[in-house]
Amino acid sequence: MADIHSFESLAAVDGEGIRFDIFFTGCPLKCVYCHNPDTRFGSGKDYTAEEVFNKAKRFKPYFRNGGGVTFSGGEPLLNAEFINELAPMLESENIGCCIDTSGSVKLNDSVKKAIDGADMVILDLKFHNPESYKKYTGGEFENFIETGDYCTKTGKRLWLRTVIVPGINDTKEDIDRYALLAKRFNFEKYELLPFHTMGFFKYENLGIENPLEGTPPLSPEKLTELRDYLNSII
Amino acid sequence: MKEAWKNFKEGVWCDDINVSNFIKLNYTAYDGDSSFLKGPTLRTQREMARVNSLLVEEQKKGGVLDVDTSRVLTILSHGPGYVVDKDTDIIVGLQTDEPLKRGVSPFAGIRSSIQACNAYGYELSDKIKDEFIYRTTHNTGVFRAYTDTMRKARHAGILTGLPDAYARGRIIGDYRRIALYGMDFLIEQKQKDKDELSQKEYLDEETIHLLEDLAKQIEFMNQLKGLALSYGYDISKPATNAFEAIQWLYFGYLGAVKEQNGAANSIGRIAEFMDIYIERDLKAGTLTEEQAQELIDDLVIKLRLVRHLRTPEYNDLFAGDPVWVTLALAGITGEGKHMVSKTSYRVLQTLYNLGSSAEPNITVLWSEKLPEPFKKFCAKVSIDTDSIQYENDDVMRRMYGDDYAIACCVSAMKMGKQMQFFGARCNLAKILLMALNGGKDEIAGEQIAPEGPVFEEKVLDYDEVYTAYKKYLRWLARLYVNTMNIIHYMHDKYAYERLMMSLHDTDVERLMAFGVSGFSVAVDSLSAIKYAKVTPKKNEKGIITEFDVKGDFPKYGNDDDRVDLIGKDLVEYFYKELCKTPAYRGAKHTLSILTITSNVMYGRKTGSTPDGRKAGEPFAPGANPMHGRDSEGALASLNSVAKLNYDCCRDGISNTFSITPDALGRDDDNRVDNLVSMLDGYFEQDAHHLNVNVLNREKLIAAMNDPTLYPSLTIRVSGYAVNFNKLTRDKQEEVIARTFHKAM
Repeated sequence: MADIHSFESLAAVDGEGIRFDIFFTGCPLKCVYCHNPDTRFGSGKDYTAEEVFNKAKRFKPYFRNGGGVTFSGGEPLLNAEFINELAPMLESENIGCCIDTSGSVKLNDSVKKAIDGADMVILDLKFHNPESYKKYTGGEFENFIETGDYCTKTGKRLWLRTVIVPGINDTKEDIDRYALLAKRFNFEKYELLPFHTMGFFKYENLGIENPLEGTPPLSPEKLTELRDYLNSII
Repeated sequence: MKEAWKNFKEGVWCDDINVSNFIKLNYTAYDGDSSFLKGPTLRTQREMARVNSLLVEEQKKGGVLDVDTSRVLTILSHGPGYVVDKDTDIIVGLQTDEPLKRGVSPFAGIRSSIQACNAYGYELSDKIKDEFIYRTTHNTGVFRAYTDTMRKARHAGILTGLPDAYARGRIIGDYRRIALYGMDFLIEQKQKDKDELSQKEYLDEETIHLLEDLAKQIEFMNQLKGLALSYGYDISKPATNAFEAIQWLYFGYLGAVKEQNGAANSIGRIAEFMDIYIERDLKAGTLTEEQAQELIDDLVIKLRLVRHLRTPEYNDLFAGDPVWVTLALAGITGEGKHMVSKTSYRVLQTLYNLGSSAEPNITVLWSEKLPEPFKKFCAKVSIDTDSIQYENDDVMRRMYGDDYAIACCVSAMKMGKQMQFFGARCNLAKILLMALNGGKDEIAGEQIAPEGPVFEEKVLDYDEVYTAYKKYLRWLARLYVNTMNIIHYMHDKYAYERLMMSLHDTDVERLMAFGVSGFSVAVDSLSAIKYAKVTPKKNEKGIITEFDVKGDFPKYGNDDDRVDLIGKDLVEYFYKELCKTPAYRGAKHTLSILTITSNVMYGRKTGSTPDGRKAGEPFAPGANPMHGRDSEGALASLNSVAKLNYDCCRDGISNTFSITPDALGRDDDNRVDNLVSMLDGYFEQDAHHLNVNVLNREKLIAAMNDPTLYPSLTIRVSGYAVNFNKLTRDKQEEVIARTFHKAM
């Protein structure tokens, strides 16, 4: 059983092709820019692997061009056991899966197995040094490094992602350091995502403090500038 | 073989009217991509500039540029008219003598014509009023025959939008026949049919009816030749080249929209037909690609200028001044070969060359077997223009063969072999409320359906409610068929489509198209009663007007069988009931789940429903899930709609889908790929129809507040496209309120 926050049957950006996203609840991190703080808490809706499999299977007709299931959240690897139960079922229907993770869970056998079973991993490269990582996410940099290294060592297809927040990690120097860090991994793609404020209402609804209250969204111009710069150095 | 048919492959089409056989023997399937396409010529741009300035003027004048109130619009009523002038226009012909000047066509109802003139500040001439004192119109005929119950049901909004005060439309003449055979041959064939019929030993009522029909058809076929002659063309003989083929075909369509102002005037499946002539000329070196595109561009310009004069009540049903010049293209032959030609591309290209537009209503007959580059081009056009719709050829072909077209939004019919008696729709949500209220209208309190027990103010029992609902659906089905029988008897009698029917086989097959609205509201209401606790609340007159709902219930649009199958059963049941009452002239019953834009009006006429919708709030359009209730994303919503059975809804299951660009994909190529996957995945499940809008809600809000920002903003609503600025504020708001699938 796993506690699942919600499903999104048409997710087009979390992996290749059309994705069926499964948002697990629970996350070891508290990123300041989190846009899904509502997934930190249990939803009270428990699903068996078979129930989720039956849902996902219904979208098989749309999974062309590499489409499939994406495990997201929250932190999906907190549910590695569940994923390990579900992944073979999906495989039996030729449905591939992708794990969209922060890499913040300690790399144990179960997590390794989940990664082994996935077609690819989307890994959040949140901050480029242990101090900032701790400060802005509350998590251990080391776990993330281990996860990335494991993907690289096992030849897993890997996409990297970084959310750029104005005033926190939006300088060229930041990009230099991200690029340097990224190079230790064998990745296919490195995407920069703009910080946005569309998740702010969730903090209000939940009645919890929003650490970036008042921070503006990253402008499209700035994003393009940093993207271009990143592409020129990696 | 005729000189006009030189280099065409011969077949049975040479001896008998058989356009389908001609197309299949002669068309050139195209597997390549869009790179051969050409932009607009300078001439086209000049003509388009004139059109655009006229459109701005029309909008400024409240939607109607000019009305000729002096004479009745018919095939020969007006002399030639041009967009620019005789030398600049290539494809020629306007409904009146000036572009966008509307004519008056009172045959369906003189009162509607008077009201329509008044609505735009005109006065119908005394001459026409006098002429119609001694003439029965369709509308008068219908109301003479209507029963009290029919009037009451119509007034209460259970049966609404019926074509009893306006012309029915939805009939597609096979205009290709004119180009392929020439009018003389077609007239000859009709004369032969008439002679043969006259030989019958006993002339029964239907035979006499048909004899008169044929006489009317022949008269108007001759008039059409006169219309062409007034522009300097003789269409008595077959077309000899691409220009003539397109011009002849267009004359047929033009004659039809001069004679008739029916609700939908669709042009049929013409792209592949035109392509055969274009290919022949290209091969002969008498036409260049640029000229070929120019011909198609110019035809499309003319199609964009078709107008009818409508009343405000009519606009409430069918907002945005649509004509439904529905043009169906692509699809697969019965032998499994795709029918994409270069002209399928050229027609789509007009949306770039002339700018996006609501008309013609370009409908792609989608099949898994369409060539990949064509699928991608369609997806790109959708993303760029929001102007096209998709219908599943793989399900329609099973019933309609491989030479059918689409009338209006989603109504399939075999070209020249089938016609339709259009029947608007009944209100499934309201009839549920009526079942709870023992046959009383929940708003006016009037007894409309037979009296039954009123449900008590305690938690509703699903089985009891469903039994009562079925009882009232049975009553409604019989009433609906009988009402339609009266309407179409009178329409045939007083406003018969002489020219359009002349371009059909004489032994035409007739379909009678019924429809339902409020589908998702009825389904969610039943689900609420079944899975939550719903207690009705009565007003001081003892009528149930509100519901107290405790607990959650599954909602249609989340791929949840518990509720989706309630909907599937509901339409299957209702269709079966409709079939029990015979339809006029031996017509076959068909059913659609399509509301066009009347979902707003139907909602206005319906009290609060057990699903939590408040009195007066709009319904979702067509077969769409109710706004905001589809919580598992777009594909779950599509899967729910895909479960509905086309076999009992063969007049169409309309679904309108809006998504923001960011949610559809990372970049242009990715969006195109994902949209193709989506369409393939949806239609693979035997779903029928999808309107696709790829745009931002913010853009619509901006356009609503300042129409000058996006003058040609086109969006797809229920089965057709409209210029967003032509919608009234309440309909704009409804469109904006609809579920937009977006990425977080």
